[in-house]
Amino acid sequence: MKPVLLWSDALIFLLVIALILFFYRLRRDPQTRERWGQVFSSRLGMVTFTLIMTYVGIALLDSLHFRKALDNPESLQTEEVFYDNKVTSVLDILLQGMGERFERTYSAPFALMSFEKKNMRDAQGNDIRDFPPLKHAGTHLEDPSERGADILSRSLTALLWGLLLSAVVIAPQWLMLRTSANPWHASWAVQAAVLCFFTWLVSISHYYHVLGTDRGGADVAYQSLKGIRTGVLLGTLSTLVMLPIAVTLGVMAGYFKGWVDDLVQYLYTTLSSIPGILLIAASVLLFQVYIDLNPDFFSIGMEKADARFIALCFILGVTSWSSLCRLIRAETLKISQLGYVQAAHAFGVSHTRILSRHILPNVVHIILITFVLDFSALVLAEAVLSYIGVGIDPSMGSWGNMINGARSELSREPAIWWTLTGAFFFMFILVLAANLFSDLVRDAFDPRTAARRSEA
Amino acid sequence: MLAYIIRRLLYAIPILIGVNLLTFTLFFVVNSPDDMAVSQLGEKYVTPEAIAAWKVKNGYDKPLFVNPDAAGVAAFTETIFFNKSVKLFAFDFGRSESGRDITTDVSTRMWPSLAVALPTFVIGIWVNICVALMVVMFHATRLDRWAVFLFVSLMSISYLFYIIGGQYLVAKTWRLVPVSGFHTDGQVWRFLILPVLVGVIAGIGSGARWYRTLFLEEANQDYVRTARAKGASEISILFRHILPNALIPILTGVVVLIPALFMGSLLIESFFGIPGLGSYMLDAIKSQDFAIVRTMVFIGSILYIIGLILTDISYTWADPRVRLN
Amino acid sequence: MSTKKDIRMRIEGLRVELAESGVEILKGISLELEAGKVFALVGESGSGKSVTSMAAMRLLPDALKITGGSVQVGEQDLFDLSESKMQTVRGRRVAMIFQNAMTALNPVQTVGQQVAETLKLHTSLRADALRQRVVQLFTEVGIPDPAQRFSFYPHQLSGGQQQRVMIAMALACEPEVLIADEPTTALDVTIQEQVLQLIRELTRSRELAVLLITHDMGVVRNTADDVAVMYRGEIIERAPVDVFFHAPKEAYSRRLIDALPDLTQFQSAAIEEPLLELEEVKVHFPVRKGVLQRVVDVTRAVDGVSLKIGRGETYALVGESGSGKSTLGRAILNLEAVAGGSVRFNGVSIEHLGRRAMLPYRKQIQVIFQNPYSSMNPRMTVGEIIAEGMVSLGLGLDAVQRQERIDDLLTRVQLGPEYATRYPHEFSGGQLQRIAIARALAVNPELIICDEPTSALDVSIRSEVLDLLRALQQEFGVSYLFITHDLSIIPSLAHHVGVMQYGKLVEQGSAEQILTRPGHPYTQALLNSVPRMDP
Repeated sequence: MKPVLLWSDALIFLLVIALILFFYRLRRDPQTRERWGQVFSSRLGMVTFTLIMTYVGIALLDSLHFRKALDNPESLQTEEVFYDNKVTSVLDILLQGMGERFERTYSAPFALMSFEKKNMRDAQGNDIRDFPPLKHAGTHLEDPSERGADILSRSLTALLWGLLLSAVVIAPQWLMLRTSANPWHASWAVQAAVLCFFTWLVSISHYYHVLGTDRGGADVAYQSLKGIRTGVLLGTLSTLVMLPIAVTLGVMAGYFKGWVDDLVQYLYTTLSSIPGILLIAASVLLFQVYIDLNPDFFSIGMEKADARFIALCFILGVTSWSSLCRLIRAETLKISQLGYVQAAHAFGVSHTRILSRHILPNVVHIILITFVLDFSALVLAEAVLSYIGVGIDPSMGSWGNMINGARSELSREPAIWWTLTGAFFFMFILVLAANLFSDLVRDAFDPRTAARRSEA
Repeated sequence: MLAYIIRRLLYAIPILIGVNLLTFTLFFVVNSPDDMAVSQLGEKYVTPEAIAAWKVKNGYDKPLFVNPDAAGVAAFTETIFFNKSVKLFAFDFGRSESGRDITTDVSTRMWPSLAVALPTFVIGIWVNICVALMVVMFHATRLDRWAVFLFVSLMSISYLFYIIGGQYLVAKTWRLVPVSGFHTDGQVWRFLILPVLVGVIAGIGSGARWYRTLFLEEANQDYVRTARAKGASEISILFRHILPNALIPILTGVVVLIPALFMGSLLIESFFGIPGLGSYMLDAIKSQDFAIVRTMVFIGSILYIIGLILTDISYTWADPRVRLN
Repeated sequence: MSTKKDIRMRIEGLRVELAESGVEILKGISLELEAGKVFALVGESGSGKSVTSMAAMRLLPDALKITGGSVQVGEQDLFDLSESKMQTVRGRRVAMIFQNAMTALNPVQTVGQQVAETLKLHTSLRADALRQRVVQLFTEVGIPDPAQRFSFYPHQLSGGQQQRVMIAMALACEPEVLIADEPTTALDVTIQEQVLQLIRELTRSRELAVLLITHDMGVVRNTADDVAVMYRGEIIERAPVDVFFHAPKEAYSRRLIDALPDLTQFQSAAIEEPLLELEEVKVHFPVRKGVLQRVVDVTRAVDGVSLKIGRGETYALVGESGSGKSTLGRAILNLEAVAGGSVRFNGVSIEHLGRRAMLPYRKQIQVIFQNPYSSMNPRMTVGEIIAEGMVSLGLGLDAVQRQERIDDLLTRVQLGPEYATRYPHEFSGGQLQRIAIARALAVNPELIICDEPTSALDVSIRSEVLDLLRALQQEFGVSYLFITHDLSIIPSLAHHVGVMQYGKLVEQGSAEQILTRPGHPYTQALLNSVPRMDP
């Protein structure tokens, strides 16, 4: 086994560490603590946060990559170890080979037969044209009619295991947090549901394709799960790229005013006057040309896809800073007029110190709100970009690529609905949870809504 | 007012130059004129002479930004950038890489775009305001909370699913209208209904939620309290006081989008096979046609700047407090 | 007029609590409003005086709920009415005017329409008759050019005119009761007096029963017939106004009255060596016009001001909003560019010093701002806030010495060292202003510019802060430039007074001279609007 550290893996773990440090530091400030407390004092906050953390957890597990060592053939007399060209992740291990059970082509959820007929030879040796049985679904059944009962009994067993696992996971939390005022029980309910679902999914995937298979015969449930990493990483990394640009320029423009302000305003007006999708498309195409011209930069296909992915994050980040910059500029202008900045001037406090101690900490709430708000928007944008053909590399699993590949499937007769359903379901849950959570964060941190609350 | 508009128009010039500079840089960083010539001529016919001839014919035989051979101002005018930009400013868009006249394409294709985008825009705003008003009437009740949840859920669905779902249900299952296509005969509305419907429904979630927030913000203002103290009923307060005030941010917020309606919608047009500017852009992106992309970027920027100016003007028109200076 | 009281509104045992927590906001309020009389309900912020009026109109926000009592208008108990019946009472029988007329008027409707709306709701007047009635009302409340003003938008009127429109709107349907919630608080003093005058006249001429809600004892003194003092949701004292002012029963009432100026005792004015000298100081803001935004003119915010402040002396700079007094303060601090004249501190010109050269003087000139809530960074502890100046101005103290000094300062401003680790939002406005004083004192200044330091504070706290400032002056010999619009605090504090109007100093002299023998008509106007104890 040989670990592989893709650039995006490194970045996401850096980001996680940075976020943890950031929140740890924020805890010092009682006001911030109070506001977070407000977010987590609602059941909705707990539920959505747990869901988001589940997605993030899966994304992180899927970011621990390695290449499996290959068994050397007997004939080869060497000590050297060869590694599989395919990159595996910890998530793949946990899913117990869910992604390796390929069929020939489409099959419906829980089907035993392929979706398309094929020329075959029956037991008597006659050429027939019929639906061939699947290689990895229901092979243990002696009679197809047992399928319903089999699924039921296996589901119940899995559910029991899931509950057991939940008990193990939740018990220590209960011991630690049972006196807490926050509605942790809501989080535990979600945790239990998630654990049961995954236990069920993994165990039953050994015998059936829960969400069927796509045109290439790949398991749709597995692909939907692999899309999580792409979605979560895109949503966070792009914002991470955008933040320093937007914050630096916005704060500078609002604080120094004058020609700095004119320049920054010119920059973002120019940038936002270009239709966003064209700018992104043009940049992505460019990068594709660059990769095509330098094919030897990347040793394995995955690295190439990863490079394109990071480039996409950068492009999305660089093209989308203008709105946050505008907000921060306006807020900085406002703060600069406030008494505490004036007082700092009167004390001869240096510009850098005013910026870092007085201005920056007081625009953090805008950054935070933008971060959670943009997250869901970026996940949605990924699907559109992949559809246009300027999104994620097709070899990399993503919901956008799934939708793109399946867009004409509904018009077939009978319609193939499961690929779209898989992508829809996993994407919808994440975006909905993020949207609801961002509403709560905004309610807690936006001074305007906060003021309205205290008035009442 | 007039001075203000003139100043804004003058300010548009550096912005458009910046836009052009950006698109040029982006394209020529990796795609030199020689590469363009090769890809346009086809591998078979590539000879140094053919490339040179192609470059002369298409105006790519000069340096990109600065011409060291020319003196004075000519160092900047005798360049590809200057020549191509000047033509853009004169609305001469030239020919696409595949030889079509872009100006003709744009002027014929913008009407189908507008035919879809304008109804979507107008009906969309109207529907969103109505929905938001209904929700505001039930403010702070269970109904209000569920409506907000519904809005957020609608927002959380990808646009692609609205289109795919709309086509599947309305066109395929119920067979009410054709799945896609566009004919400019008397039945053009049959092709417009579905895209407009999809566009409006896809926008309800975010639109109605935003308008609800605006309405509630106004409902907290002091003048609403005054109106209550006068003895006005809640309904009359909503329609006579809150609505006119909230319409100011709503109208001025959407005015910037009006010029951009000419550009159409990338997704809607490509899914529904509408021969507008949206699908034109998409085709250009897919075939990497620089001339078209550059033109569309330029047009898009102009429309955006016009939108900004219209926004400012609409403020003075909608809000008696605002004077431009 | 008969001797029998003509009671128009009777509030009895009114109780209100927070809907969620059940905390009592009003603990059984009872009062009666008599025709032709002004009943003043006085209290500081949070005493529940506004809640009383909103509850009487049944206009409380959802977070508050009425739990007991009754409000009777004539024979009707308002709490028994349906909401639609209640709507016929509001504006028709009981009308209200609010504190800030600018925001209380609908910004996108003409003022005429807004007054007409009330009439339309409750009378059958329409079209021309309606318009005529509105014009008639405008005339009655003293709006000039009433016919033209009909189609003006609120922002086109001055603050005083806006409040007059509010009054016209309230009186449109000839109500029996008028509730006025801080009707003059947002106005300049000279305008304030005119509006109160109008309310007094209308009370008599229309036999109105007025409930006047205010925090300002001066307003009560000049306007009310009866007064009730509210404190934490209860009425603690009630009396006819003359009785109240001469013999208040409660200590709290006494404190409120004491905040009124005593124009018989002044600080002795003895200017010694001048510390700060301003000579013909000008501050201009450019006015840009045209396509190229050329500077075509300047707004003369400060237009040639000369004054001297002696060591250990307090100079009060008085003026209404927009007179340029705060701009002058900022110019002295070198936070605003000076267009002409000179600012000399200890004999040295400092108005053109750069950022670095100014640093030594920053130790000597400090500032306290009006709004205590925005003058402290919410993300810093009180200790960090006070330490900031000592660190950046390099007072040469190590961390331990700094901490000692912070503790010492906090003790001196009557807070205590244990507050150093707290954050600003945990403090009240008065406490924050004490911290601001400590922050300014931290660098041992010789001059502190106090920009309306007490105007955001309640009256009872106001005098505590002023006392503290005076005590510190005696202890440290520091000078104050005291910028204020409130003449009433001058006698107890200032040695010299300057009156500013439109960027110019129209009059200056010793406090006694200005307050007892004002020369300039503007000073006289300002002074006339100040309520005072002596008749």
